[in-house]
Amino acid sequence: MAEIRDFKSGKNTVPPSGAMPRRLAAIVAGDISGYSRLMQLDEEGTHGRVKRIERDLIEPTITEHHGKLVKTTGDGFIAIFDSPVEAVRCSIVIQQNLVGRNASLPKHYWIEYRIGVNLGDVIIETDDVYGDGVNIASRLEGIAEPGQVYISGGIYEQIKHKLVCGYESLGDRKVKNITDPVRVYRVLPDPAALNRTRKRRESILLFLLSLALLVIAGGALWYMLLQPHDKIGNQASAPQPQSAPSVAPIPQQAVPQPPSAPSVAPIPQQAAPQPPSAPSAAPATQQAAQQSKPESRATPATPLASAVREPEMNTIRAGIFTMGSNDDVTEKPPHQVTIKPFAISKYPISVRDWNECAAAKACAFAATGKDDAPVTNVSWTDAKQFVAWLATATRKAYRLPSEAEWEYAARGGTQTKYWWGDQFQSGMANCKNCNDIAAAEQPIKVGSFKPNPFGLYDMGGGVDQWVEDCWHKNYQGAPADGSAWVEAGCTSHVIRSGSWKNDARYVRPSNRDSYDTNVRYPTHGFRVALSP
Amino acid sequence: MKIARLIALSAVMTCLSLAAYAQGKPAPKDALLYFVWPQDGATIKGGFWCRFGLRNMGVTHAGDHFQNSGHHHLLIDVNDPLDPNEPIPQDKSHLHYGAGQTEARIELPPGKHTLQLVLGDANHYPFNPPVVSNKITVTIR
Repeated sequence: MAEIRDFKSGKNTVPPSGAMPRRLAAIVAGDISGYSRLMQLDEEGTHGRVKRIERDLIEPTITEHHGKLVKTTGDGFIAIFDSPVEAVRCSIVIQQNLVGRNASLPKHYWIEYRIGVNLGDVIIETDDVYGDGVNIASRLEGIAEPGQVYISGGIYEQIKHKLVCGYESLGDRKVKNITDPVRVYRVLPDPAALNRTRKRRESILLFLLSLALLVIAGGALWYMLLQPHDKIGNQASAPQPQSAPSVAPIPQQAVPQPPSAPSVAPIPQQAAPQPPSAPSAAPATQQAAQQSKPESRATPATPLASAVREPEMNTIRAGIFTMGSNDDVTEKPPHQVTIKPFAISKYPISVRDWNECAAAKACAFAATGKDDAPVTNVSWTDAKQFVAWLATATRKAYRLPSEAEWEYAARGGTQTKYWWGDQFQSGMANCKNCNDIAAAEQPIKVGSFKPNPFGLYDMGGGVDQWVEDCWHKNYQGAPADGSAWVEAGCTSHVIRSGSWKNDARYVRPSNRDSYDTNVRYPTHGFRVALSP
Repeated sequence: MKIARLIALSAVMTCLSLAAYAQGKPAPKDALLYFVWPQDGATIKGGFWCRFGLRNMGVTHAGDHFQNSGHHHLLIDVNDPLDPNEPIPQDKSHLHYGAGQTEARIELPPGKHTLQLVLGDANHYPFNPPVVSNKITVTIR
């Protein structure tokens, strides 16, 4: 059995057999972390300090623990020991001493070693040691953190009950050019550190786990609540007010009645008793002229008419047109209607417009969705609330358009099947199978398609639009003066335009449909009209 | 090992949360939607009152979230299957009775027509499982 020879003293004798001597030894590999950085910072100072550390700390400590310093590289060393216990003790002592030496220096000047210890059967030569055991020690040192001592499984097995310190398992690591993975342990100088480490690890993992679960649960909840039901689910819980009786006697062209009865209000009083079918040209223009005088409008309980965003309106000139068609039984008989000048909003009322009313607490719910999308899930009653608020807030005669006004505006001065001609054209309207818009993006923002000859957008397809009129199954008995055909307390109203979910037939300006007055549906919206 | 068990537990819980869901509200298995009038194969002259029957569930106003309640929809000459993940469409072949009506005056052009009832929940989605009646055929003279 070979003994450790004093290599440095030169008193070496050639081993008798002449073959390379092999031994089981504990190999300690140490390396300065960040050596190049330190050299760049302060070449001479670093060099001097490293040399001093080697001379004053590393060599004596190795000798004290009955080991041998095999070689020093520029920034590291390799030592071998007969006893794994001594090897690890030595490493710990070195590291703890270095902490002391670094204590007075700023962190970027610290000289920290990484140390790896392995047990292996190695080849000893005069000034070097070879073998897998050495390579593994070097690799362990390479993966160690600065100031730490990493030991292999072999060392651990030998010292675990002998050395009073803690060990943290780092699992099996695959080591370059070594077939089997190496079990790695980190040495913890005080046993209490292990508990802290373990607990910390566990708590980190638990925290990450619960975070992941919360994210998944939150995502599922958000998707379920918001995505399909978004407009319905997010409305305030205010039920639909039963406003039909109070709102019903609205004459077509009149100023909307203020909620409180004003004492002197010549315009509303003039408008209220006026029968819808009678006005001739003279009183109508007189009424229009009088309505333009601001001082005659006494509305005591009006909220501030300040900075309310009004929808963009287009003025529609007076005219006569044929309303209805022979294409559907509900559109018969086609009949002539005279339209007086009025203004109608260029686009359907958007989410942004609607939410101003909601913010003023005059509308029953806040709409969700993109600001530029048309507001949907609006009942006829909801639409009436909006125009009432808008009229009061702006002191202008905002209202829903009559069905005749709507169709006149939709036709844009044409009498063809569609406003652009008698043939349907793809890409002209937002209807089912009419364009390439993905279902998930609907309803798309207002004004995405070409406007009609009156400069109006989304008249046909897009969102269904409420008008003032009660539903009648055809035009038998319909008024011819462009006013709304209304009765008190009707339970369903006319809805125009069709939506993105209806096919091309619903895009025709004469197309009409009905829906329950107080029910909301996800494709129903509206636009507003304004009496001059 | 403990960590591996925790990870397995979390995977199981995730799978539970991802269990498939349909959009509509749940409906009892014994709910029955049917035509009180007309009966399948009837020949009717002109317009008629279509009367909707519902057993083991209630009819309410659309938008009201009362349990076990919905509102009627009448499908006329509809052959496409209903998508349970979309609200029931609204057009001239899908008539909605969101105010809670249980009968309606129907006028159809002469010829054969199919009629079917579907119950919709507060948000107009079909129930889960869908509450639909038989599809009946009537002839209008």
